Amino acid sequence: MNSNSFSPARIWTLATATVTQLVRMKIMAFLVVFCVIVVAAGFAFPVMNPEQQLKLLKDVSFGALQIFSVVIAIVSTALLLPRDLEDRTLYTILSKPVPRYEYLLGKLIGVLLLIGAGLFLMDIAFSAVLWLRQSLVLAQSVGALKQEGVATPEAIAQLTEFVGKQGLTWNIHLGVLAIFLKASIIAALSLMISCFASSTLFTVVISLLVTIIGHGQGLIREYFFSEGMNQIMKKLGSAVLAILTPDLGIFDVLDNVINGEIVSAISAGVMIGTAAIYVTGYVLVSHLLFVEKEL
Amino acid sequence: MPDSAPSPPAVTVENLTKVFKSGLGKQAFVAVRDLSLTVEKGEVYGLIGPNGSGKSTTMKAILGLLSPTMGKTTIFGKSSTEVESRRDVGFLPENPYFYKHLSGLETLLFYGRLCSMSGRDLQDKAREMLMLTGLEDASNRRVAGFSKGMLQRLGLAQALLHEPRLIILDEPTAGVDPAGSRKIRDLIMGFKERGITVLVTSHLLEQIQEVCDRVGIMAHGRMVREGKLDDLIAVENETELILADASPDLLAEIRTLAESRGAKWIRSGHSRTTLERLFLESTEEPKS
Amino acid sequence: MKRQIQALAVILVLGAGKLPVEEVATCYLREAKLLTKPISISLRESLGQASFAASLGGLRSLVASITYLRAYREWENINWAKVDSLFQITTRLQPTYFNYWDEASWHMAFNAASSYLYNQEINPMLRGKLYEEHVQRGIDILKEGLLFLPDEPRLWNSLAEIYERRVHDPKKAAECYLEVFRISHNDRYSRFAGYQLAQASDRESWVKGYELLKTAYDKKQRPPSVIDQLKNLEERLNIPPLKRIPDTRPQMEIQHGEVGPSR
Repeated sequence: MNSNSFSPARIWTLATATVTQLVRMKIMAFLVVFCVIVVAAGFAFPVMNPEQQLKLLKDVSFGALQIFSVVIAIVSTALLLPRDLEDRTLYTILSKPVPRYEYLLGKLIGVLLLIGAGLFLMDIAFSAVLWLRQSLVLAQSVGALKQEGVATPEAIAQLTEFVGKQGLTWNIHLGVLAIFLKASIIAALSLMISCFASSTLFTVVISLLVTIIGHGQGLIREYFFSEGMNQIMKKLGSAVLAILTPDLGIFDVLDNVINGEIVSAISAGVMIGTAAIYVTGYVLVSHLLFVEKEL
Repeated sequence: MPDSAPSPPAVTVENLTKVFKSGLGKQAFVAVRDLSLTVEKGEVYGLIGPNGSGKSTTMKAILGLLSPTMGKTTIFGKSSTEVESRRDVGFLPENPYFYKHLSGLETLLFYGRLCSMSGRDLQDKAREMLMLTGLEDASNRRVAGFSKGMLQRLGLAQALLHEPRLIILDEPTAGVDPAGSRKIRDLIMGFKERGITVLVTSHLLEQIQEVCDRVGIMAHGRMVREGKLDDLIAVENETELILADASPDLLAEIRTLAESRGAKWIRSGHSRTTLERLFLESTEEPKS
Repeated sequence: MKRQIQALAVILVLGAGKLPVEEVATCYLREAKLLTKPISISLRESLGQASFAASLGGLRSLVASITYLRAYREWENINWAKVDSLFQITTRLQPTYFNYWDEASWHMAFNAASSYLYNQEINPMLRGKLYEEHVQRGIDILKEGLLFLPDEPRLWNSLAEIYERRVHDPKKAAECYLEVFRISHNDRYSRFAGYQLAQASDRESWVKGYELLKTAYDKKQRPPSVIDQLKNLEERLNIPPLKRIPDTRPQMEIQHGEVGPSR
């Protein structure tokens, strides 16, 4: 095999160019919007009980994180390939000694770097607000206990533990990891679709559709595996859907992470492994579609 | 490379046929039909023909951007389907575009890295190319603000960056003003002097004729004529004679002599400069 | 064309091959409590509703928060039907979050029920009926929530409180308190069950209540209410004098951490 048939340095060059391209498209402006949302969610609803306040903050922040990651994954991936083709930038790139799969990998890694960096920054901002809010909630609750004259060390310890479980934990960052994994799959999926799609809009719409179905894929699969179904068409339909779409529901651990369930190393491994299978599969199919694509 | 083995031509195209399938119910379109050509090392080969004659398709097939329906293409003996065949090629597409968000220099660094160049070498080479193409002032400007001619020159710089042995130019003078196109022609002459093989397409015959050693004329996906430029355009039985400061008497004498020897006098008159030369003379600043 | 067929083949083969992997991954994450086990299909109102919730993906939690806030607003407007329907959506979206069930039932069984009971503009006959209906609605909500969270002590505790204070059914309240005790192992709830059984009208309940309270007493949990109730039950059950507890009030002992579930 030739020495330059695979070059991580070239892939990195393509990936960083993709990141600069997206960054200079002002995509990261979302980060500012995110921070405003998080701060608003953290301090705008003072009427509820402390636990609800922390939950709401987590719900809103994680919701924003998810929307950010899915939208960026679909839209930026869907934009990149057709744009390079339209601008004929692809010609100059591929007329250099660059294998086509390196180009694809470079684009995908670029999008993933951007999403990863975005999630990382948002995670930091969110953690800071959550920690601040949690400290305030704790101080208020301890103050209330003292006013009622029941601020025994045990009561305060229990309260601290309780608020701590609802507040900032390492576990929450693993929830962000789950969001990233889901976004990686969606980006790889969009890349695959853009390899045969005729327009950006088509890629966006189909990717979005598959993403939505993918969240309910578990249900479809269950339906397919369930006994006592005699309608062949329905069974066939559910089989096709289950085969064609990824099960994104696997990564919806956030609900329960917000409720304080612990993500073990094995659970994280299961999610990473499943995501790796999907991403590898989609990249492989993208390669097959792209390697002899007429440009 | 051992001297004993005959070195392969820079480009070969053998019986290339390219059919574009369109959607269901529509007829397939034959862009190139059984085309063969060879570009020898060190030669400047011009492929000319009207728009839609299959020139760009042929180039894309040579560069491996399209896969031929039939036939094969090679670059320095390597099949175009191999990535390795593109190591020694620089390509300038028609109306090139680059990542708008990069500056001129960044663009060259990006392409250089794709060719596995790096570090000081790459930096130096990129600056040298900007100098060569007259873009040194624009090296830190975003490509988004470049004019068409500047994009074209940046495209050339990008194609030359890794010192290729073959340069493929697709309509390099399209949409460029005469000064720019003169500059491009000078560059092509420069490549030739340095022993670089050039394959260039154009639909403007005049612009190409000054620099090409050989030309191929394409129409409807086929090669209609091919050969050395002089052979192709020379009119065998006519001779041109250009004189300066000749008096009318002298001209009359020459005419009489010619006709007395059996030659046919076709026309005489003042030489005309080309509009292009006039444009260049009046717009170029006087050299100090 | 050949490549397209290869691509399609890879999609289909990998697509079919991934199904068991997805199944295993889902099961594992459900075991790890990171994903919510769906209850059997017959318990879902419809597959459509479940798939709607699923299609929201990771945004379920956020949407639930929004409907919760809207319910809160409707509570301020005293629009009980709207509060109920919004909480219904909220609990559907996030059935594993106990607080939504708890708050939904509290609004119905306590706030809405009382609001109707004391509403002078409504015919007194109707008021009683509305009161009962809304208390029952609160009970139904909690029972539904317990299908998702059968081991959530706070839901059992709330159900016990409704039986105790709104329905005045001490036997059912005791059953619920015993569930709390079963899950939390907090002796306090066993005593609560005991108090409730002492309020019942049949002798069998008294016997059971006596046993619970006597066990607490023997574990040296002797707050005044335990002693009062025990003495009362000793009378009713004709416990022989030798087996009765002494009259002098011993020192009360409370164990560490005996604080109930916070609300």
